[in-house]
Amino acid sequence: MFDQIFGNYLVKTGTITKEQLSDVIESESKVRVKLGLIAVAEKLMTTEQADEVNNLQAIMDRRFGDIAVEKGYLTEAQVGSLLKKQGNIYMIFVQNLIDKGLMTLEQIDEALKNYQDQQGFTHSDMDDLVSGDVDRTVKLFLPSNTELCDKHCGIAIRTFLRIINSSAYVSKAYLTDTLKIDNFAMQQLAGDHNIYAGFAGTGNSLLAIANPFADEEFESVDLDALDAVGEFTNCINGLFASELGNEGVDMDMLPPAFYEKASRITGNQFCVFPIHVGEQEISFILAIDSTISVN
Amino acid sequence: MAKILIVDDSRTSRKMLRNILESNGHEIIDEAVNGQEGVQKFQALKPDVVTLDITMPIVDGVEALKMIKALDPESKVVMVTAAGQKNKMIECIKAGANEFLTKPFEQQEIVDVINKMSN
Repeated sequence: MFDQIFGNYLVKTGTITKEQLSDVIESESKVRVKLGLIAVAEKLMTTEQADEVNNLQAIMDRRFGDIAVEKGYLTEAQVGSLLKKQGNIYMIFVQNLIDKGLMTLEQIDEALKNYQDQQGFTHSDMDDLVSGDVDRTVKLFLPSNTELCDKHCGIAIRTFLRIINSSAYVSKAYLTDTLKIDNFAMQQLAGDHNIYAGFAGTGNSLLAIANPFADEEFESVDLDALDAVGEFTNCINGLFASELGNEGVDMDMLPPAFYEKASRITGNQFCVFPIHVGEQEISFILAIDSTISVN
Repeated sequence: MAKILIVDDSRTSRKMLRNILESNGHEIIDEAVNGQEGVQKFQALKPDVVTLDITMPIVDGVEALKMIKALDPESKVVMVTAAGQKNKMIECIKAGANEFLTKPFEQQEIVDVINKMSN
């Protein structure tokens, strides 16, 4: 996610153009191969084993390497070696900017410092950002709220990247008591905690979820498109409830609810986590142990 | 080939299941959008296999399963669940659920489970 976050910062500051960023990111995909493919190419796993781990990833919210180790297909050392072969996204991104003559290393360093100041990040935060680790990155953008909020948002973003769009990126989440929206698909989880979680958007932004998830071409955010967003939300909430269940916390998921022509979400205090997909911005909404209402 | 009744409140899930099952030679004889409608259609249509979502409005999947098993203890019911519904799954096992499918769907898993049910 570092490439999208820092790359879009460079576009916003006029350092590079949108087209140049697209070109750099497209080049990355040619040099950065999926871990499973490298493992198969290195003859450490069979194609069937890699497929099995990929399928398990969809329902387990775990990293490829972690599942492969648990299944006994790879050792921790082999995963480490494969990750090294895969390469760090920060290094690849910086190398591409330089190779394409867009920026010098000094200019990149300067831009990183400016970005760090703008975001108020510490050196340790910047280490997390350039690590390429989604969990470490997501935590940087969350408000200091609760462990549950961190956990739920982390699962939401990881699932989003895995199932909806691997090029999505996040910006700073915030707590609010009101948010202007046009449409919203959400689900309540009841039990040891009372949680509302879902995705809200303006215009047709939620199609960035509905179309890939349902494998359809909805033209507007109607109830069918919201149903697809609701089903995706259900998958995220299921993974979250599963993780809580392992810790002895009991949660029951209620049927998703859809709001097609809404104007705003209000509540005591809820978390809004902006997710960017291309030009579209979607909000992951999370209210933990507080209620929200939709008008 | 099995004659299948899909019971799910989500249009997206019904469509995904229908596409996968039909492309693998099964016949979807009808769909229902909640447990109550599902039980009614089960009685009327006598499908070979029912896929039954757990989280539904009006009558949920667990209650619908109990009603279907009361009508026909030999019925073949595949429960459809998101991850994280362990307690509901235990309830379903006690009520006689034959198999489980987990969302998000994996085509091969669906085909394997339905083929196993219809043999």
